Amino acid sequence: MKNRMTRRSLLQTLCGATALGSLGAMPSLAGSNEFVWMTWENLAKDDYLAKLLAASPIDLRKNFIGTDDEQFAKLRAGGASSVDLITPGLDKVEFYVESGLLQPVDLDRVPNAAALYDTFRNTPLGKKNGETYGVPFYWGINPIVYRADLMDGEPDWSVFFEGDKHAGKLAMRDYALEGIMIAAMYLGIPQDRMFHMDDAELGEVKKALIAQKKKLRTYWNSISDLTNLFASGEVVCAFSWVPPYHELRARGLEMGMALPEAGVIGWCDTVAVPAGVEGQKLEVAHDLINYLLGPVYGEKLAYGGPYATSTSLIRDQLPLDQQEKIFVKDLSIMDTFVWKQNPPRYNEWVALWNEVKAS
Amino acid sequence: MSRTAIGNWLAAPIVAAIATICLAPLAILFLFSFFSVDFVNIVKEPTFKNYWTIASSSTYRGLIAQAFLSALVVVCITGVIGHPVAYFIAKRVKSAKSAFLVLLLVPLYTGDLVRIFAWRVLLGTEGALNTLLLWVGVIDVPIEALLFSPLATHVVLVYNFLPFMVLGLWLSYESLDDHLLEAAGDLGASGMSAFRRVTFPLTAPGLIAGGLMVFVMAVGEYLTPQLVGGASGITIISAINDLFGTAFDWPLGSAIAWTMLAILGFFFAASAVVLGRTNWARAVVGGE
Repeated sequence: MKNRMTRRSLLQTLCGATALGSLGAMPSLAGSNEFVWMTWENLAKDDYLAKLLAASPIDLRKNFIGTDDEQFAKLRAGGASSVDLITPGLDKVEFYVESGLLQPVDLDRVPNAAALYDTFRNTPLGKKNGETYGVPFYWGINPIVYRADLMDGEPDWSVFFEGDKHAGKLAMRDYALEGIMIAAMYLGIPQDRMFHMDDAELGEVKKALIAQKKKLRTYWNSISDLTNLFASGEVVCAFSWVPPYHELRARGLEMGMALPEAGVIGWCDTVAVPAGVEGQKLEVAHDLINYLLGPVYGEKLAYGGPYATSTSLIRDQLPLDQQEKIFVKDLSIMDTFVWKQNPPRYNEWVALWNEVKAS
Repeated sequence: MSRTAIGNWLAAPIVAAIATICLAPLAILFLFSFFSVDFVNIVKEPTFKNYWTIASSSTYRGLIAQAFLSALVVVCITGVIGHPVAYFIAKRVKSAKSAFLVLLLVPLYTGDLVRIFAWRVLLGTEGALNTLLLWVGVIDVPIEALLFSPLATHVVLVYNFLPFMVLGLWLSYESLDDHLLEAAGDLGASGMSAFRRVTFPLTAPGLIAGGLMVFVMAVGEYLTPQLVGGASGITIISAINDLFGTAFDWPLGSAIAWTMLAILGFFFAASAVVLGRTNWARAVVGGE
């Protein structure tokens, strides 16, 4: 049999293959039980969610984010219709609400919300007109992490602004909100003014940050990168997240974690339901929120994160050392944290931050 | 219907696709650059405010100038290094030419992040280079400026973009007639003189093509400065990223992007006009 490939048959084959390929590349036309959760990778591990998924017919699809800003940009650009649950920071919920991207969460359908710590139940953040749009879900602090073997004592915020002893071995996160909050805490600007600083105060902050820049090895953008910088000795002290402290201690490095008296930045992420979600998906969203606030997920996150959820449902079942690890042993510590908020002049904060980095 | 008309109709879908994929997003950005932002709302009332902000901000002006200057430095260095490499592959290698070209391109297969982290291992305080220099006794303490500095940024950028320059130059060298160099030598030209008066002009199209590619890529680069540039690693592109992401100031971000595009367009147009007036350029580009 003669089997000769002609130009026409080649083109037909290519066209057919392209058409089939593009069909495959199309987003799967969601089955009715597919549920999309936009979240951080470390929050949606299979074993964390196994118990819920075993008892539920939903097909949970995870859509991972790299930053809260990226999540907002995706939704603001029209992506809200393709997700059923999102994970905005408590301070950012306002952005989503004002953009009309969220619907209020019916807390009557989330029984575990009754066990929210007072700090999260009473916060005005995440709410509007008495309705809750972002349910506080898990929280933590961003402390100073340092190589205890390479530093003399426990540092405070002044290490980033004064003296030359560790100049060239320090790192800050490349994030305007936190960078400016730290400078404000160092300058002694009280918490109630911090997010409403006037031009003179912002001017002082800018001066302090420009002085700080000369002492920095780098601004970090990813926590795994910072972990490597600690491990390689490029950086001995940084404004950090908690994970490098635990990870590098587990690898045998002598690490320290400092909570400066001037204040420690506290953060809380929420779960929120996009405006268009309805019907069975809305029910699933409430079930998932309830599970995330519950004891099973709370225990998994307490050991796996290690992070604390925003309810008290698992706290008393955890050993004291684990409670201490996730900052719930003495709950009054929450009162000393400076919780992140969204400053009204945030655009000017970002411009200031860029001016500092370009200085 | 004439063959030309049929050809035009067949080309129509391609033109439409290019217009949709390439030009429409740019047009939308251009439109946004005349809007403003009020908290999380885009105010769609035309204004030149964003362009005024750019013109009056020494930060944005400085970052834009830095982007173009830095790209120019990278083009010059890759051009200087690229010439001998391209010459060697085109004129000296006889049997394994394709192997050398593949070798040249291998780093490109590994991805930006892998290359950047490899350079970190090499240039870090406890990296291979510092360790070697300490072992040899050239230095007593590690040189910290090897990493997280503008020097490190430019070293990595040159490494990343060198293949693009070499490819352009290699094509020019391949088409360079060796007899011309022999004739130059016979007529008494020194090696340098032959390069200046024969080789360089005849390989200039490759230099221009490679240079343009490197320039455009270097202007838009922000990952390398961010990861090896240290505290000085900010670029105009990362500032645009901050405006689109963190600050939700899409209009100002769009205006900066369009300013960059306009400067780039002006730069290329001016270069074409200036070069087009020289006999040399008309000869090498137009074959006159």
